[in-house]
Amino acid sequence: MIKSFLGYLHSGVTPGEAGNLIWITIYVLLVFAGVSLGVMFMNWFERKIMAHMQVRMGPMRVGPHGLLQPIADALKLIIKEDLMPSNADKLVFWFAPVCVVMTAFCAFIVVPFGRTHTITDMNIGVVFMLGVSSLGVLGVIMAGWASNSHYSLMGSLRSGAQMVSYEVAMSMAVVSAVMMTSMVTGTGTLSMIGIVQAQMQQHIWFVFSFFPVGLIALAVFAIAMVAETNRAPFDLPEAESELVAGFMTEYSGFRWSLFFLAEYTSMMAVSSIATTLWLGGWLRPFPNLLGGRNWDLAFSLVPGLTFMALALLCFFTFTRMPRIRAMRGDTAGLGGLACLLGVLGVVMLLPGVRDRVQDIFWFTSKVAFFMYFYVWGRTTFPRYRFDQLMTIGWKVLLPISIGVVILTALIGVRQDLFALVRR
Amino acid sequence: MSFVAVLKKIFLIDLVEGLFVTFRHQHPDNLVTEQYPQERPVISDRFRGQPHLKKDANGKTLCTACGACALACPEKLIKVSSLRDPETKKKVLTEFDFDLGRCMFCGLCEEACSSNALELSPAYELALYSREGLELDRQRMEDGTPRKAYER
Amino acid sequence: MSDNQFYESLDETKPGHTFLDSNELVLNMGPQHPSTHGVLRVILKLDGEKVNGIECVIGYLHRGIEKIAENRTWAGFGPFVDRLDYTAAVSNSLGYCLAVEKLLGVEVPKRAQYLRVILTELARLASHQVWLGTHVLDIGAVTPLFYAFRDRETILSVFEKYCGARLTTHAFRIGGCRWDAYPGFAEEVLKLCDDLPPMIDEYRNLITGNRIWLQRTKNVGYISPEDCMSYSITGPVLRGSGIGWDLRKAQPYSSYEDFEFDIPTGTAGDTFDRYVVRVEEMRQSIRIIRQAVDGLPEGPIIARVPKVIKPPVGEVYVSTEAPKGELGYFLVSDGGPQPYRVRVRPPSFINLQALEKMAKGSLVADVVAIIGTLDIVLGEVDR
Repeated sequence: MIKSFLGYLHSGVTPGEAGNLIWITIYVLLVFAGVSLGVMFMNWFERKIMAHMQVRMGPMRVGPHGLLQPIADALKLIIKEDLMPSNADKLVFWFAPVCVVMTAFCAFIVVPFGRTHTITDMNIGVVFMLGVSSLGVLGVIMAGWASNSHYSLMGSLRSGAQMVSYEVAMSMAVVSAVMMTSMVTGTGTLSMIGIVQAQMQQHIWFVFSFFPVGLIALAVFAIAMVAETNRAPFDLPEAESELVAGFMTEYSGFRWSLFFLAEYTSMMAVSSIATTLWLGGWLRPFPNLLGGRNWDLAFSLVPGLTFMALALLCFFTFTRMPRIRAMRGDTAGLGGLACLLGVLGVVMLLPGVRDRVQDIFWFTSKVAFFMYFYVWGRTTFPRYRFDQLMTIGWKVLLPISIGVVILTALIGVRQDLFALVRR
Repeated sequence: MSFVAVLKKIFLIDLVEGLFVTFRHQHPDNLVTEQYPQERPVISDRFRGQPHLKKDANGKTLCTACGACALACPEKLIKVSSLRDPETKKKVLTEFDFDLGRCMFCGLCEEACSSNALELSPAYELALYSREGLELDRQRMEDGTPRKAYER
Repeated sequence: MSDNQFYESLDETKPGHTFLDSNELVLNMGPQHPSTHGVLRVILKLDGEKVNGIECVIGYLHRGIEKIAENRTWAGFGPFVDRLDYTAAVSNSLGYCLAVEKLLGVEVPKRAQYLRVILTELARLASHQVWLGTHVLDIGAVTPLFYAFRDRETILSVFEKYCGARLTTHAFRIGGCRWDAYPGFAEEVLKLCDDLPPMIDEYRNLITGNRIWLQRTKNVGYISPEDCMSYSITGPVLRGSGIGWDLRKAQPYSSYEDFEFDIPTGTAGDTFDRYVVRVEEMRQSIRIIRQAVDGLPEGPIIARVPKVIKPPVGEVYVSTEAPKGELGYFLVSDGGPQPYRVRVRPPSFINLQALEKMAKGSLVADVVAIIGTLDIVLGEVDR
């Protein structure tokens, strides 16, 4: 058994492909922990970035610069009283948040953090992810129905309609990206790892291929994914000023935190789709333009250096903390964080580690880039009214995405014709 | 619409402009939060805070117990008690009751005071845990409210 | 109609039943709601998403200010007047003082008049900042609120340095001003006038050209000029519909005739035009403040007024252009030291009548935008 355990480490495939149950479990737990940690970080990150854009400071009290705020929030939500409206459908009320969370996490089964760093690689990876995201709509509608209140019902139906409409445009954009995988080699693929490998083989990230077709497809997908996850400027169902909190109104405490978890997880899931399809997944920038051993070395140092830079930032903030007795704990904590990040940075510079960590780092930083755009957009844009929202989904995004699909197809046919002619 | 306007509409230029405005504000110099209680606001001289009875250099109260402040107060929450001193035939202040709970810090009492004794000091941290402390007697009016030092 | 009558009209078994359509949903945007700018209760009758009727229930902030006036002295009522429109307390004070001065027949010195103009225009700026922040927040953009309040802080710190309080300023007295300009007043106010226009330009970049904003506010909450006149609506709502009526130009008071400024007027009476009118009013206010500070004359700051104010028997109505509209004071004096009757004509209360007219036929999401564009303050509506 130990041999099978260790034997897997030298294979060049994902645990799912290798069929190694132990490693599958380990990867599942790692992904679950990682995503949950990501959600907690997003909570802090969103509040801080929103605050800074709004010329204020955000959480500063709980832990140094509010770093322990997500923990405080989680604790508060867990110890809150669990309310259930009278006349609510109890089973459905209980199941709705579970459904949403399950579907959001299930999408991470096929997300490729690296060539071997995936739980499994289905040969229909993209379709699986889109399908599982669609199941989340069911959870949303169940939530509104079970709450037995006007507000929640209206909110959930609107939310469901919005998610369904934008999924069509999303899927069209995905179709165009999948078509691009078959451009040069002639064999397309739906598997997430396959799509990134196709980008590797074609020596171009799909966002730049056949400029501007790739870019338009990414733009359509980006707008649709913001609407899919009910974020600003398409967050009318959650709009506080109009319907309190929409379908989530009657949920409190831990149940609400499950909805929150599911929302951020699905944000990360669709960002992962966008990264994989257009931004080259785990590939480092300029793999071919700046190729060769020296450039490889330089780029492989980036993760370590990023963590060292973060450590320096922490240290800089540590030196600027107010020197009063009450802040001793915070200051010590910040110093400890700086040391921890520094150690991580040094570890990531070691030759053995830096090759393995590369893929995960580039993938995560691209997803983080999308998450920053989510927060940036939420801070800046007003909200669309519901009919305007649906108009954009059906009358603007869908025609554009169909146009992109047709364009990609035409370009592909042209390539094939040329290839045929050359032979 | 002109060609440029059409291009702007397609490329979402107006939305991008908005994005840049919010991005620019992230600079640390722009943050205006005052971290109370570590950083306290700067109070102006004319700030109308807690009323305070002034004393002269020898520690004798400046108040002549004329009662003008009690007449001027719209809420009638000042009670001035006095005795007539048999020697100087002038009024001497005995008690000065002020109901801080109902005071709206309008400053009419400060204006009415003829001897410049009653002033509204810059003290604004007046929160208490019970209502009894809100009725100020003469001693508390003369002492004022010391500024609290917060631990955290 | 009273609450009971209203609910009876919903009951199909009662004779007063007015609704024939049983598909209507009655939604209560209750007094506790993030978007009703205070404790306003709006009962919406919805057909799906479309609004069929609106009923406003007010009175949740009624404090009996007009009744209180009958038991206070004329000067002692001054602090209460600030609590009406609490976003721009100084302008309420100005109106009341002008009314009592008219009753008394007192002439306010020129320096005091200029100081009053400066502070009132600063209050107008402050009020419009609150309006801007909250209106945009209701529509969904969360950042301009903070920018607006940051700009408002500079104005409030001027108020604090001048009269000692940020919000309930009690800045003016009957006969003039209590305080003279503090050292550094002119420099600080002029610096404010220089710093503010770039911020207003930022709002333009962030909001005015934004396509989402345009879609949310154009053709929303339309009211025709004729309806405005018949509802006796005043202020930016009236000017947004095309009627250029501003009391500062039409019936100048407190030296407004000395200053040069424009009255921004809109053409389509929709939310977007009212927004543009108010933003432009902010720029015009800065213009007035600059002229007033530069031309501040020397002289006394308060006229000679008896210690106990006892106006002769009579009544007077004086109105000023408050940030929300025409704020009027109708004072009745019976010769005694206390007013016989003080009646406030609150602009928000009168403008709120138009809510039903503007919102009928629009969607639920627009109702919030329309309440925001009317710029009501419940302190004024309920007194």
